[in-house]
Amino acid sequence: MKTMKLQLKVNGQPQQWTIAPGDVLLDVLRREGYFGVKRGCETGECGACTVLLNGKPVNTCLLFAAQAEGCEVLTIEGLAQGEKLAPLQEAFLDHGAVQCGFCTGGMILSAKALLDRQPNPSEEEVREALAGHFCRCTGYRKPVDAVLSAARKKNAVEDLPEEVA
Amino acid sequence: MFTNVEAFYRPGSVPEALRSLQKTKGHARVLAGGTDLALAADRSVRFLIDITHAGLTYIRRRNQSIIIGATTTMGELEESPILEALAGGLLCRAAASCGSIEIRNVATLGGNMANGSPAADLATPLLVLDASVVLVDLRKKRQLPLFDFLRGTDLPACLLTEVVIPAPPSGKRCGWSFQKFGRTAVDISVVNVAAGLELDARKRVKWMRIAVAAAAPVPFRAVAAEELAAGRALDRTLLAEIGDEVVRELRPITDQRASAEYRRKLAHVLTGRALEECAAHAGHTL
Repeated sequence: MKTMKLQLKVNGQPQQWTIAPGDVLLDVLRREGYFGVKRGCETGECGACTVLLNGKPVNTCLLFAAQAEGCEVLTIEGLAQGEKLAPLQEAFLDHGAVQCGFCTGGMILSAKALLDRQPNPSEEEVREALAGHFCRCTGYRKPVDAVLSAARKKNAVEDLPEEVA
Repeated sequence: MFTNVEAFYRPGSVPEALRSLQKTKGHARVLAGGTDLALAADRSVRFLIDITHAGLTYIRRRNQSIIIGATTTMGELEESPILEALAGGLLCRAAASCGSIEIRNVATLGGNMANGSPAADLATPLLVLDASVVLVDLRKKRQLPLFDFLRGTDLPACLLTEVVIPAPPSGKRCGWSFQKFGRTAVDISVVNVAAGLELDARKRVKWMRIAVAAAAPVPFRAVAAEELAAGRALDRTLLAEIGDEVVRELRPITDQRASAEYRRKLAHVLTGRALEECAAHAGHTL
């Protein structure tokens, strides 16, 4: 089979991989050990395979790996700082928004992209941001609450005088 | 994965893309985002040509027209101030309905048109806006009305580079609407209808456009229904007549999303809603 090189950054680390020109990004990321990128429907409907590509959520099951050449990919593995979870991850735990966990990685990444763009979203905006994610456990209420609470917490911290924050 | 793919090209310009197309002699698929292509049942493709680096991502004014590059994403269309100011933001709303944010970050206008889906969400607003597509090959560049492009069965091997939207009617007596009905907020249309309307001072129809998708082999303009309305006062009777005429022009299928009969009823309802919304924008309550 013909192969080609793929250069990209994953979770801040430069990578160079050998891929087939017809490889799908989802397969390549999992082959390289990023198992937080879940294989769900593989038709762009469930959102479990979501990563941030240059800061924007995309379905990796619908992207050829070669399309990510030169891009920055963020998977759920790249969110925590060592043992310290990111505020969104903490909020999902605090709100019981994680049950089986299969949809969680993708949802948190989409939520991160939303909060990066819109730090103070309405519930409507949160629901829109999560519309591409299926969750069969939580009924969606808890993930939505978790995202809203993470946004409120972040804003509360930023509103404090610097010496207190 | 696509096991037959031998090479993945990333042309940096349109001429380079055209040379790749020529070199691959009909064995290539053009990738303009690829959200449809990745799901294609036919996996025999031997070459992929990713045109998203070929300088075709833009939304510009040119004279009285608006020009949109083929690789402009749904997300970029949604957020464009130029398009927000065009026809009541009709295209922005259609782009925003085109799947989840994940899809809209990747899927493009050119892909949505060239893929030729009967349910393409951007086809109906573009038909209403009398849009054309620009097609180029190594020898020439030509502009074809979208209406003809979508019906086209024997188009030459070429690249769709731009969509051109001429200045539509504007002013207080105009209205626009995009009505999509899908099973969920992010699903493909069961039926979608776009409409544009201009009334005269006596609330008669001066100009009307109705386009319907997912209810025939290709998205189409309901020309007979538009003609029936011309010059007449827009009231509930006319609305029902227009709806009936639109339904006569449909050729829906039954699939997993809906039956043909349901699509006929839905097209009637959505046409009515679209024209009511248009009329409301034009200051006329039915």
